[in-house]
Amino acid sequence: MLQITNLSASIDNKKILKGFNLKIKPGEIHAIMGPNGSGKSTLANVLTGKNGYQVEGQVLYQGKNLLKLPIEERAQKGLFMAFQYPLEIAGVNTNNFLKTSLNTVRKVRGLKELDSLDFLNLIKTKTKNLKIDEKILNRQLNVGFSGGEKKKNEILQMTILEPKLVILDETDSGLDIDAMKIVSEGVNSLRDKDRSFLIITHYQRLLDYIKPDFVHVLVDGKIAKTGCGELALELEKIGYGKMEAEG
Amino acid sequence: MNLNFDEFQKANQTGGELDNIRIKNFDNFQKKGFPSKKEESWKYTDLKTMLYNNLSKLEVPNNKKTSQCHDEWLLKNFKHNQIILVNGEFVSSTFSFESKDKIKIKPLRVILKDKKNFNKIKELFDDQKNSLTSLNHALVRDGIFLEIEDNYSFNKPLVIYNFFNKSSENKIINNKCFISLGKNSKLDVLKCYKAENSIKYFNNTIHHYSIQENAILKQFSINNNLDNSYNYHLTNVKSHSNSIFENFLFSSGSSFLKNEIHCNLLGSYASCFVNGLILLNNEQHHELKTNVNHRYEHCKSSQLVKSVLLDKSSGTYQGKIYVEKEAQKTDGYQLSRALIFSENSTFNSKPELEIYADEVKCSHGSTTANIDQGSIFYLMSRGLSKKQANKMLIEGFLNEAVETITDINIKSLISKLLIKKINEIKFETNEH
Repeated sequence: MLQITNLSASIDNKKILKGFNLKIKPGEIHAIMGPNGSGKSTLANVLTGKNGYQVEGQVLYQGKNLLKLPIEERAQKGLFMAFQYPLEIAGVNTNNFLKTSLNTVRKVRGLKELDSLDFLNLIKTKTKNLKIDEKILNRQLNVGFSGGEKKKNEILQMTILEPKLVILDETDSGLDIDAMKIVSEGVNSLRDKDRSFLIITHYQRLLDYIKPDFVHVLVDGKIAKTGCGELALELEKIGYGKMEAEG
Repeated sequence: MNLNFDEFQKANQTGGELDNIRIKNFDNFQKKGFPSKKEESWKYTDLKTMLYNNLSKLEVPNNKKTSQCHDEWLLKNFKHNQIILVNGEFVSSTFSFESKDKIKIKPLRVILKDKKNFNKIKELFDDQKNSLTSLNHALVRDGIFLEIEDNYSFNKPLVIYNFFNKSSENKIINNKCFISLGKNSKLDVLKCYKAENSIKYFNNTIHHYSIQENAILKQFSINNNLDNSYNYHLTNVKSHSNSIFENFLFSSGSSFLKNEIHCNLLGSYASCFVNGLILLNNEQHHELKTNVNHRYEHCKSSQLVKSVLLDKSSGTYQGKIYVEKEAQKTDGYQLSRALIFSENSTFNSKPELEIYADEVKCSHGSTTANIDQGSIFYLMSRGLSKKQANKMLIEGFLNEAVETITDINIKSLISKLLIKKINEIKFETNEH
């Protein structure tokens, strides 16, 4: 699904990722944990295609050179990132945005575009599952949404777009326990042998709800340690400091 | 540039007072010439240079009758009354949805020639705002004279079509539109503009609206068709007590368009709302100037102007709220927000408050910003192309102005025209 080899990324001449390697197979869930400033969000941004980074190394996504693809093509080909800080976009109606996004992606994937009625039925089911108040669909995109509503809106977009590779960038931050459960259920409902997840988080608690196959510890732009789910628990006890010393 | 005033004067003599008014006003115009940046209210638009560069052969149209308009230019699936002007000349009017005995409609040329009727509009010729007003008084040939009786609400909107065909090429077209709305009456006016085959002309129009007590006049000025025309539209509004004037401006089609709207609140509890959008690309230059004059207590005014500038275009908003000493409890609000898409586009804003009363609520704000790259990234990460993302952001940004429209059918019409207009934008300078 995803093979990252010796990936380096700098912004404003500051090197953030320093030879990062990772391989994700279809159906796997990988968690990346690490202290502030270790490069977690940079990794997510580089994979999604955000401008402004000088990038070296190789990223193969479904066998293709991901770094060469424009942002929208990455999304159309099934890459989805749930933003740590979803943007508030004034004037853009949430419902219109979701419909345009879905139909653009469906068109590229060779599927029939949904008419308003089909879309309405789809969105009704999805919002109900995620316990999202349908009213937010008629509001401006993320404008005035609570932290929880913004994150749920990201998960809503994820479930609608049915991506192949999902990156969750600190989706748990700012969520209360109830919202975290709902978000996790949304993610778990999408678990599939053909779909992979890359979960970026500070804390172990999200991993109580979404069980990863692998946990990687990112320190100073590189993976310092890889393990199974228990590694997260261990980290919670000893903190990142010790890992940095070892790394 | 030879405007051939003498020839015009000879051909349009009425034997009445108007003849002298024309001569006097043409003199006034000649002393000042076309407005240039030396004048405060034209500091962002050098009209003189603009006309000399683009319309150096500008002339006054002769009296030859011009043709009709094409039916395909009329609004479809939208029930309305209509007045058709071609090259500034009154061609026809139909009020199919109304009680005709409540409405007095005449081509302005008829009023100009008739001594008795002329007295009704004589005071319009006193207005001496700038040299273009003088020029309009001197050279006005036709336009609209519309009087609506008291206690009459229109059933459907009135659309005033302004068509310009090749007879207008290199012409300066001066007309006036006079609308008087009686007490407790209500009228919605849409003004649409369309020019044939990208011809060049200069249109100088003065609108006079008189809104009596408790009456409601809504004006929607839709300049959405791309053309090579140069336009100055001046609107003078007299609002009496408890009346409402609502104006929406869609400023997007012409090479040059300056709208100047003066609202005089002449009775307590009168209100005026002047909102609009400016959407420009290529080398277009549009300007909006509003001037709200609070003279009595408890009046309300508000302006929301949203602008999007692409390519090498430039836009300007000059807004003034003036509150006289007697106008206590005034509620005034003004906001201009502009979004710049290109390094070569510019937006100028000049908000002004002049307040002499001590118990008022007035606020104004103005922001100009570049398009937010973070928002573009967010939308593209959901599969939208850069073009789609730009369009979605522009539509969203300008929609806030469209949302101020209080008539649901007209809002939907203007919303559709805006989407169509945004879809026509090429975004050439924006693609990397």
